[in-house]
Amino acid sequence: MGSIWGRLPGPFVAKLAVMVIVIVLVLLGLVVLFEWAGDLLDSGGAVG
Amino acid sequence: MAVRRVARVLGWTLIGASLLIFAFLGYQLFVTDLIAKGSQQQASRELDHWWTEVRTTLPSPQIVTTSIPTLPQIVLYPEEPVDEGKSFARILIPSLEVDEVVFEGVGRKTLKKGPGHMPSTPLPGQPGNAVISGHRTTYGRPFYDLNELAPGDLIQIETAIGIHSYQVRESLLVKPTDVWVTEERAGSWLTLTTCHPRYSAKQRLIIVAELVEGPNFEYAQVVLAAA
Repeated sequence: MGSIWGRLPGPFVAKLAVMVIVIVLVLLGLVVLFEWAGDLLDSGGAVG
Repeated sequence: MAVRRVARVLGWTLIGASLLIFAFLGYQLFVTDLIAKGSQQQASRELDHWWTEVRTTLPSPQIVTTSIPTLPQIVLYPEEPVDEGKSFARILIPSLEVDEVVFEGVGRKTLKKGPGHMPSTPLPGQPGNAVISGHRTTYGRPFYDLNELAPGDLIQIETAIGIHSYQVRESLLVKPTDVWVTEERAGSWLTLTTCHPRYSAKQRLIIVAELVEGPNFEYAQVVLAAA
C-alpha cells in the first residue's frame, strides 16, 4: 500500500481522492462479481 | 532468489483468493439477508397501508350462472393485476414459520426483495395456477425449508380480497427450464418454485398446492368439476 501511495502523483489531497475512487471502484466491481457468481448458488428459484 | 520471489507472489495470491472467497460467502449468506430483511420490513408497512386503501375500491363480485341444480349461481371475487415490483400479498406457511411479503414479478431485482409472483399466471386465490418463486439460500432465504412440506400441509396467501388457504398435494424436482409446471390448471392452484439442492441452482423444487378455503373456493370447485 505504501509503495502505491508513493507512486501516486500530486499533493496529499489528490492522492487521497484517487485512492478513494479506486477503493470504491474495486468494491463496486466485487459486488457485481458477487452478484453474478451468486446466481450459481441461488438464482431466485424462477422457472423458464 | 527467484524461487523465493515466486513463493512470495504465490503466497500473497492464495491469501488474496481466500479473502475473496470469504468475502463472497459473507456477502451471499449475510449481506443479502440484510438487504432482503430491509425490503421486507418496508414492504410490510406499505402493504398494510395499500390494503386499507384498495379494499374500499375492489372490483365488484361477478355472479356466474351454473348448470348445477343445487348451486345455480356462484360468485367470483376478481382482483386487479398489480404493477411489476409492487408488494401485493403475504405468504404464510405455519409449519415452516414462513411469513413473507410477496411482490409482483420474478425478475432478479424483484426476487431480491422477497418471493415473487409470476405475472403471466393468475393472482393467488383466482382460478388457475398461481406461481410464486423465491430464493432458497440467499436474500432472506424465504423458501429454505420448502423441501420439508408434506402433502396436507397448509399454505396461506393473503391478498386484498381475503385469505386463500391451500393444501399441499405434491412436491417434485424439475429442470430450471421446465415451464410446464406453470401451465394453467382447472380449479385453483398454487405452485411454489425454488432452487434445489440448497446452494445450487441446478434444479427446481416445486410444491403444488390446491385451494381448500377462501373467497373463490366454491367457484374453483365448480370449474374443477366442469373440466
